[in-house]
Amino acid sequence: MKLELGHHIVHIATGGRAPNADAPALLFLHGSGQSHLTWVLQTRYFAYDGYNIIAPDFPGHGLSGGAPLTTIEQMADWAARLLQALGIDSAAVVGHSQGCLVGLEMASRHAGCVDRLCLIAGAAAIPVNDYLVTSSADRLDSAITMMTGWGHGQTAHLHDNTQPGFSHLGFGRALMAGNPAEALHADLLACNAYDRGAEAAASVTQPCHLILAGADKMTPVKQGRKLAGLIPHAQLTEIAGAGHMLPSEHPEAVNAPLARFLAS
Amino acid sequence: MSQDYNFDTLSLHAGHTPDDRHGSRAVPIHQTTSYLFKDTRHAAALYNMEVGGHLYSRISNPTVAVLEQRLAALEDAAACTATASGMAALSSALLTLCSAGDHIVSSAQLYGANVNLLKYTLPRFGIETSFVSATDPDAIRAAIRPNTKLVFGEVVGNPGLDIMDIEAVGQIAHDAGIPLMIDATFNTPWLLKPLTRGADIVIHSLTKWIGGHGVAIGGAVVDGGRFDWGAPGKFPTISEPHYSMDGINFYEEFGPAAFTAKLRAEAMYNFGPCLSPTNAFHIIQGLETLPLRMQRHMDNTNALLAFLSDHEDVAWVRHPNLPDHPGHDIARRLMPRGAGSIIAFGVKGGREAGRAFIEAVQLSSHLANVGDAKTLVIHPASTTHSHIDAEAMKAGGLSDDMIRLSVGLEDIDDIKADFEIGFKAARRLTKQG
Repeated sequence: MKLELGHHIVHIATGGRAPNADAPALLFLHGSGQSHLTWVLQTRYFAYDGYNIIAPDFPGHGLSGGAPLTTIEQMADWAARLLQALGIDSAAVVGHSQGCLVGLEMASRHAGCVDRLCLIAGAAAIPVNDYLVTSSADRLDSAITMMTGWGHGQTAHLHDNTQPGFSHLGFGRALMAGNPAEALHADLLACNAYDRGAEAAASVTQPCHLILAGADKMTPVKQGRKLAGLIPHAQLTEIAGAGHMLPSEHPEAVNAPLARFLAS
Repeated sequence: MSQDYNFDTLSLHAGHTPDDRHGSRAVPIHQTTSYLFKDTRHAAALYNMEVGGHLYSRISNPTVAVLEQRLAALEDAAACTATASGMAALSSALLTLCSAGDHIVSSAQLYGANVNLLKYTLPRFGIETSFVSATDPDAIRAAIRPNTKLVFGEVVGNPGLDIMDIEAVGQIAHDAGIPLMIDATFNTPWLLKPLTRGADIVIHSLTKWIGGHGVAIGGAVVDGGRFDWGAPGKFPTISEPHYSMDGINFYEEFGPAAFTAKLRAEAMYNFGPCLSPTNAFHIIQGLETLPLRMQRHMDNTNALLAFLSDHEDVAWVRHPNLPDHPGHDIARRLMPRGAGSIIAFGVKGGREAGRAFIEAVQLSSHLANVGDAKTLVIHPASTTHSHIDAEAMKAGGLSDDMIRLSVGLEDIDDIKADFEIGFKAARRLTKQG
């Protein structure tokens, strides 16, 4: 689905089903240098499960136009405006990595838009290694290789995949390389600059569930646990052995607790 | 693990994690047609590509998937689909991209069955091909039309051994908004990964070097994931709603793997060119030793090139490793480990001397295959390329006296001794003549 927002086209994945305003809305927020394709095995599954799926490409990412947004706060405001433009009062929000920061900020700044919050491979702060930030500007191929290497667990490094014939690493590199060149750098700077995570987490009043990856090298699981401790009444699921890109690497292990949380 | 495993490690491990219940270290043969659904929701999810998994072995199979994922890893690809043969791979890939009214630009120097598919079979379905020299990028550029859907070629042409500069041709194809599809059977990813040098889709006959043992036929379509299929109107069956799965748009739903998703959802479903799990298992056994075998193939090839080049009974020798080959510099740039283990040569005395050589050798096998662990010899003009016409033979670099040699892994001294038996027979015939 395409939508014009702020003079730019926004691409929104709907899980292969037509938008359904009568169904409960589920907003997916992708991570740094990613796109709606992070969520292939969530969007299709939950669309066929009866949800109204909204998985946008942030500006300057994937199939969306415009320039990348430069702060987490801007991204949260943009996502809230997107829901408004779609005529959706509120949605369950699911974030991955940087998308968790955006989700936290949405829940804080636009609390009425967020029914419940699921944070996957998240932390209250995501400081980024200087070398990676520099590489994302000067040596994008190298930065992408580093991120896909660190971002995947042993299953992906052995090229084992529930989707027959697919390579996590090859698909991941191609996904990131397909984004406009400036997208990753802008995202990493935005993550580095965001320092309101703990404050936003403490203000969350909505039901919240965290799904953490046991072998996450990008947002270590102990940081996810700390975030869970900051959010009132947060629930927690840990997936042993999973890497940071767990939505694609362990889709069924993610979808099961997410489905239970959404139904609860 | 933060860094990717290296090639030799991936050859052994990629695509397979031993299962918790049985712990089988070797890849098991899942000799089954179908798979139990957990419930009706799970069945629907598999049909709708909501979840990964297997529903019927014409579409996918766990043993075949290990082979596919291993090949994807070795080729630096986004995805791979294995097929019953190399020709099944090529026809499935072409029919995934092309419809009636579409056009292909192809190298003129191809394996005989590739030529026949493009020149005679596909035109019956409204898909035309222009054949041009693989070594003439300007001719390739000039042959591209508005309805051209891809450029096709072999890095090392069969059997003439011309070299296609895939970096230059890839740029030409991309400038025209179309992909470059390469049959990389002769080089294998150990010598060259075409997807990292300008190609977008790679075709393999797995029957050859990748299997290596000559016991199983198989093929593969490998998808680099780097080509943008989204140009409006150019590839509508990928980037516009498809008839299946509620009008799925493969480009939007699967991004870098859109081509593979469409191939699996359409070609595998509707044509059914699936690889058997047992053949996949056999090919995996070969793939595990690919790096070791390729090194030996190249060592023996270089030794035989020196032997043949100096031999008084040899009229000519052609191989891209030789400095007098027109594609030598390009081959060195693309394939620094060597340009494969196929050698073309002529025996002094012409066609009949060549026939005498082939019939006299005792260790080398006279058969229609390449890339076996054993040394193979054949006379293409009377066998593999006998069904193509004189014009195509000339364009393909074939001559009546050509012997195609697929260098095996035997002790090099035994291969040389066997060839001396062949040369002796050819000399005897020439003297009689």
